[in-house]
Amino acid sequence: MSTPREMRGSLLVIGSAVAALLLVGVYLAAGGSSYEPAKTQDPCKHRPWRNPEGLQEIVQQFTLSALDGAACELGVSRETLAQALATPESRERFMQRYGIGDAELARAVRAGLVRAVDDAEKAGALSPLIAGPLRSTLREIPLDRAIELINDAESIFDQAQSFLGPAQSLLEGFLP
Amino acid sequence: MSAATKPRVAALALAVGLVLADSSIVVLALPQIYRELDTTVAGVTWVLVSFNLVMALAAVPAAHLARRTGPGRVAAVGLAVFAGAGIACGLSAHLETLIAARCVQALGGAAAVTAVLELLPATVGSERRATAVWATAGATGAALGPAVGGLLTELVSWQSIFLLQAPLALVAAVPIFAVAKHEAATGVLSSELRPSGRPHLVANLALAMISAAIAAALFLLVLLLIEGWRLSPIGAAIVVSAMPLAALAGARLGDRVPSARARAAAGAILVSGGLGALALLPKAEVVLTLPPQVLVGVGLALVLSALTETALAGRAPQAIHGGWTISARHAGVVVGLLALTPIFTADIAQQRHDAIDAGTAVILDSRVPPLLKLDLAQRIEERLEEERGRVPTIGSAFEPLPEDAGEREQVVQLREELQDQLDRGATHAFSASFGLAALLGLLALIPIGLARRLDL
Repeated sequence: MSTPREMRGSLLVIGSAVAALLLVGVYLAAGGSSYEPAKTQDPCKHRPWRNPEGLQEIVQQFTLSALDGAACELGVSRETLAQALATPESRERFMQRYGIGDAELARAVRAGLVRAVDDAEKAGALSPLIAGPLRSTLREIPLDRAIELINDAESIFDQAQSFLGPAQSLLEGFLP
Repeated sequence: MSAATKPRVAALALAVGLVLADSSIVVLALPQIYRELDTTVAGVTWVLVSFNLVMALAAVPAAHLARRTGPGRVAAVGLAVFAGAGIACGLSAHLETLIAARCVQALGGAAAVTAVLELLPATVGSERRATAVWATAGATGAALGPAVGGLLTELVSWQSIFLLQAPLALVAAVPIFAVAKHEAATGVLSSELRPSGRPHLVANLALAMISAAIAAALFLLVLLLIEGWRLSPIGAAIVVSAMPLAALAGARLGDRVPSARARAAAGAILVSGGLGALALLPKAEVVLTLPPQVLVGVGLALVLSALTETALAGRAPQAIHGGWTISARHAGVVVGLLALTPIFTADIAQQRHDAIDAGTAVILDSRVPPLLKLDLAQRIEERLEEERGRVPTIGSAFEPLPEDAGEREQVVQLREELQDQLDRGATHAFSASFGLAALLGLLALIPIGLARRLDL
């Protein structure tokens, strides 16, 4: 038989355990175990384009595809690469941190742009007539120019016109 | 207690409270010290670690010294050293000199706090009452330390925390000088030099483990509030005041339960539960830290007093066994800080990276016009650079907002989503460390459970 002194001790221990478990349970139920930053997606996994409506939307998705393609080549996330390409200083820091040289970065960015052209073509946003020569051109462009095109994809379609020269009239006809 | 002895008891209690507050008083000043002395999180941790390490190592030798040369003299010299080293801390311009001064401060503090335990029985009339005064003064100092430190940091400066300690230590030393004078005239009684029994191993081990958990709770919570959620030191001081307030309630609750083992077990469970809840915060909101703090506060009052009583009960001399409890508590703090600092430092870096990636994904996937995205990305990158690796507030990177109403709405939504990702990262960075600290608290239940069976 427990004495009142022992009873009080047992009650205190049981009460404490209930209070502790209750609070932990409430926080778990409120999502405490999953309150963390959203996970970024694998850039090597193909992301289907949203219904491209208008040049603005195509440009957005073209940029994302290009970033995904380049990030996949470099083995980093699309977001890490986007931060790296924001300024020349951030690009330098990124290259140092990951031990990447100019040539490797150039190769990756060009591959990203080519993947974006592929995706645009698959989504019906770019005609095969334009996509083919555009891919050839993008495979050769210098690094700085390639980065400019990722940062400002809108100009790629303007640039396509000048790259293609004779196909200019066709381009106007095929772009939405 | 006579009216004549009250000022002396108050002075002795002030000495104990002052010294034991020092192991935690700089917690809220650490972020400011970290920035002003241009150091790292791991480096600034040593401002706390050095003090606690020296206290752990010096407490028992200081107690022996107090018994051999007279507790009055040792306490007086200890307080003078503590005050002098406090001034040196306040005048330090480099982390190295600050840490060195903290070590000297701990030496003086260890001497003072153990010698005071030897002086108290003669002043208050019984060893039991002396233990109660000593333990209460220490617990009050340790509990109030962070809030006082936070207020001083914000209202004056981190240096003022140390500079203010010097006059307070000297006030506490005044009645002790009289005892020291008396000792010098009469010498130390040979009866005072009887050998001491062995320390209560299990109670001291449990004290070390629970102290590691509590130190981690306080240190991590302050860093989360100031570095993670960007509260001011005064704001953080107000928030962490919940813990000592709850500790007061815990002390009253403890008075109603005579079983020290039950109080210790209940306290350890509450501390672990509070830490477990802090590891599972469902949102970056200050109010959500309050219920866990209440559990930790009530728990620490129950467990620390119960284990200290157990460690001192029936053991003589009190100064030596008090020295062992001081040593165990501060060793626990050191182990807690050293074990958890590398974990949360690495977690902060990883979570910051993940949060920025998640925030970038939000921007990339938004419908904001591409050129505006590019501009935002550049401004955010610059903002991150300015913050030198800390968790940033991102709001200013979005200023000025676009004039176009549609674009402005999109940008405001983006800003909120990005800040949410950063808050998630900052909060989650502490989860593993809080979880480990909770585990340490639970492990303390093993020696607490053994204490009755082995009766060491």
